[in-house]
Amino acid sequence: MWVRIAIKPFLFRLLRRVPMPWIAIIVGLVAGLGVWGILDQVQSQQVDKIFGQELQVRLDLRARESLIRFDRYLSNHAATTRLLANHRRLSEYLEPLFWSEDEAVTPVVYKDFRPNWLPDFFDRDALTPPSQVLLTDPQGRVREIFQAGEDPVPPELATQVPASFLDSREVRSVIERFGERLSLLTSDAVEDAGGYNMGYLVVLVPVNDAFLAASQRGLDVGRAAVALIDSDDQHILASIDSRTMPPGSSLADWNAIYVITSQSLPEYEGSDSNLLFATFVPHASVEKMSRHVRIFERRQRFIAAAVFIVVFTAVIYLVSSRLNKVLKRMTRFSQRALGIAEPGFHRDGNQLLLLEEWIQHFTQLVLTAREEMSRKHQAEMRESEALKAAMMEASLDAIVTLDHGGRVIEFNPAAERLFGLERQEALGAVFAEHFLPDVTRAAFKRLLDRSQHLHREPLGRGELLALRPDGSEIPVEISIVLIELEDERFYTLYIHNISSRKRAEQEIKNLARFASESPNPILRVTAEGLIVYANNASRPLLLAWEAEAGDRLPEDWRSEVARALETGQPLEQELDLPDQVYSLLFAPIRDLGYVNIYARDITAVRRAEQESRQHQAELVHVCRLSTMGEVATGMAHELNQPLSAIVNYANGCSRRLQSGLGQTDELIGAMRQIAAQAQRAGEIIRRLRALVGKQPPLRAQTDLNHLVREVCSFLEFETNRVGVQIELALAPEDIPVRVDLVQIEQVLLNLAGNALDALEERPEDQRHLCIRTTTDNGEARVVVEDSGPGIASERILSLFDAFVTTKEGGMGMGLAISQTIIENHEGRIWAESVLGQGSSFHVTLPLSAPNEEVGEPDETPDASCCPLTDH
Amino acid sequence: MIDATVFVVDDDQAMRTSLQWLIESTGMQVQTYASADAFLAAHYPGRAGCLLLDVRMPGMSGLELQAYLAREGYRLPVILITGHGDVAMAVKAMKAGAMDFIEKPFHDEDLLRSIRNALEFDQKHRASRAARAEIVMRLAELTPREHEVMAMVTDGKSNKEIAASLNVSAKTVEAHRARVMEKMRAESLAELVRMALLAAPDAPL
Repeated sequence: MWVRIAIKPFLFRLLRRVPMPWIAIIVGLVAGLGVWGILDQVQSQQVDKIFGQELQVRLDLRARESLIRFDRYLSNHAATTRLLANHRRLSEYLEPLFWSEDEAVTPVVYKDFRPNWLPDFFDRDALTPPSQVLLTDPQGRVREIFQAGEDPVPPELATQVPASFLDSREVRSVIERFGERLSLLTSDAVEDAGGYNMGYLVVLVPVNDAFLAASQRGLDVGRAAVALIDSDDQHILASIDSRTMPPGSSLADWNAIYVITSQSLPEYEGSDSNLLFATFVPHASVEKMSRHVRIFERRQRFIAAAVFIVVFTAVIYLVSSRLNKVLKRMTRFSQRALGIAEPGFHRDGNQLLLLEEWIQHFTQLVLTAREEMSRKHQAEMRESEALKAAMMEASLDAIVTLDHGGRVIEFNPAAERLFGLERQEALGAVFAEHFLPDVTRAAFKRLLDRSQHLHREPLGRGELLALRPDGSEIPVEISIVLIELEDERFYTLYIHNISSRKRAEQEIKNLARFASESPNPILRVTAEGLIVYANNASRPLLLAWEAEAGDRLPEDWRSEVARALETGQPLEQELDLPDQVYSLLFAPIRDLGYVNIYARDITAVRRAEQESRQHQAELVHVCRLSTMGEVATGMAHELNQPLSAIVNYANGCSRRLQSGLGQTDELIGAMRQIAAQAQRAGEIIRRLRALVGKQPPLRAQTDLNHLVREVCSFLEFETNRVGVQIELALAPEDIPVRVDLVQIEQVLLNLAGNALDALEERPEDQRHLCIRTTTDNGEARVVVEDSGPGIASERILSLFDAFVTTKEGGMGMGLAISQTIIENHEGRIWAESVLGQGSSFHVTLPLSAPNEEVGEPDETPDASCCPLTDH
Repeated sequence: MIDATVFVVDDDQAMRTSLQWLIESTGMQVQTYASADAFLAAHYPGRAGCLLLDVRMPGMSGLELQAYLAREGYRLPVILITGHGDVAMAVKAMKAGAMDFIEKPFHDEDLLRSIRNALEFDQKHRASRAARAEIVMRLAELTPREHEVMAMVTDGKSNKEIAASLNVSAKTVEAHRARVMEKMRAESLAELVRMALLAAPDAPL
């Protein structure tokens, strides 16, 4: 133990000083070397094993190859024997011969020449030449012998060839030991054309060095040798080189030098021989090969190990140096980012270890910070609890907290107000069932579900109907916040009563419909004249402009828009369409660069104005007739006087004449009176005609003084009645005016008539009526002044309004129409009055050039338009 | 009728003289005046006749003059003449006691008939007024007690009832009654009652 304790800090101290890349190199080298050492051991054994197997296989192959060569060589001999046995010359030779079966025969021996039946095939085929060729009869008795070499025929075959060596059906090859010699015996039957056995041809070939060498032609004797071995006593019978491997030597003698492979030759074995074919491969050759392989293989391994070490070391070096940099940077960044003080170690050295220390330090700091955080958090929690409670109390929105089963666990005062329910009553109730009507429960459920995916959706929020215990429903906006604790889940509902907002929205919506519902056209146009809004009623305008919403106004209207925006003042224009007249009010909104166009269909107004003008004209006429009527009534009364007088005179005359009492001069006087009264009546009628005769509405040049005098003469009856003499204070010279005579006379009659009416309220000696005419500043002026009771100052201003009257039977139109007439003549009319002392009415008219056309108005009377009623 | 005079008041001279000319053709006396003031200045009460008035006149109009005369106790019957009279004016005039209301131009017979009616009415009225004056004079001669007895008698009460209410004997009442009959120169009770009715202050003229 103490060793570990002592070593560990030391190691760490050491490691801390060594930079990572150096450690990497050391580790790489050590690991590489270790790998190489292990591989060397394991691999060389393995290679030896593999090489041994490989060697065995190659030796086997070599042995088999030798055997195959040997076998093929024997086969060649058999084939040659067969050719000879079936040769034409042999059959031709044997045809005429007849061999008796049971006679003793002495074989014919050819020693120096070759018999005719034996062609020289062996030389031709490069085969080892035979020592003897025997020709036997079908029973195997030797009849003829060709002696090729020196060796005598083995005694076993001198007269009779044993049947075991013969076969009538096929070629038979046997290696047989005759005495000390090994020979190859090959036999084949000789047959005639009809298949009849005429004898056997037996070829004997000595098996010796030459034979084996010929059989292994092309084989390097130095690399491998072959031999035939007697399997029984393990001795060499024949070898390829009898000098180095003499026959009769034991096989064991050669084991040291050669690797020996033995193979049996069953098909060539004779009756008693037991031959093996052995192949000899020298150990030296095998060793040499093995050494070459091993050296090559070790070099390879060394190169592999070296490459491995270099690559491994380089990779680790690169990685670790990179890692070192990253770690350094990480440390710096961590310090900087987390604001932790420098742990106090060197920049150099093993960063991994340094990092570990630093991380320990860091973890310590984090732990401290977490504790502090936790303390702070708890304090905050307490604070926020207090805040939350205050908020719950003070919130204007109803706040309801539900547990996971939807039961109410918190119910703030606003909720009590909203639902009209005490907190104690609400606690424990299932919210969806007690506070929501059936129709909105599904929507509420969806809101709850949505609140559980807050990270995906902004907020579980929606507008619903809430149910009060009394059964009434109120629109509310509910937003749901999910609070997930470790094993509990709460929902906080913020419920806002939006009845008033709904109502306001409704109202705003309705307000927005103002423009569209307006029966008058309303448009909004941009500063460039682009129509951005047009309500339905503006269709006729758009049609007239051939524009649609989104198009531009016609050029001239665009300039109006620009003008309205420039001045900032609303301006009004009229738009004349073929059958409609519109008044367009351009109301600029300069802040927004818009102009609102409010259009009014003023066709009816224009028509009404026109009609009103017409009516006014008619009314003027009616009033004139009315004024004329009053005058005419007076005149009719006046006319009654002379007429009644005439009637009285006439009746008086006729009565006097009837009774005969009449004095002539008396009657004549009465007649004169009658004539005088008729004259008087005529005069009245003339004046009446002048008044009511139809006057052309043309203006004519006339003298204002003349008009005043005319009016006075019309009023004579009235003035007489009231007992007033009209005082005339006329300008000495003519006052030229260009007026409608009848209308101006009507005005003057009206004023004088009013004055006379006013005077009736005064005692007779205080009745004065004065009419004055003057010229002044290009104006003609007529003043009608009376000494009547006067007019209260507050009534003077409304005097000229229509239907204002003080008279019992009056229409109140006289002064209004007088004003209209005077204004039509570019003149003015006004009243001045001192209460209790009288009033004066002033009329001014523009003077005209005196030398203008002095055309008298057409005086053609037409009484039919103003019929006088009979009084 | 000889004493009766037709008074014509009209501002129009031609009208005035022509009316005079017409009325005088029937033999009646005519006096003409140019205005109401002129008439009032010349006239004295008691003259028999009738008054022909133009409604419209400068100064005092015809209707005003009529009202003035009625107020002052003149009993002249009034005929109003107008150029353009209307129903309202006619009703007003008739209510004020006018005899007739004639519109110009008029038929001479209508006017003359109307004048005759007026004069006749004036004459009758004058006669009944004279009789009443006589009865009033006789009533003045009665003693207070005789007045009381007469009133009760004309009320249709019997002597006994009168005696009971006056607390006197029936004989005394009989004596009073005889004296009343004598002083009033009544021939019968019926005549006495007619006299009492005639003399009543509110009796029609």
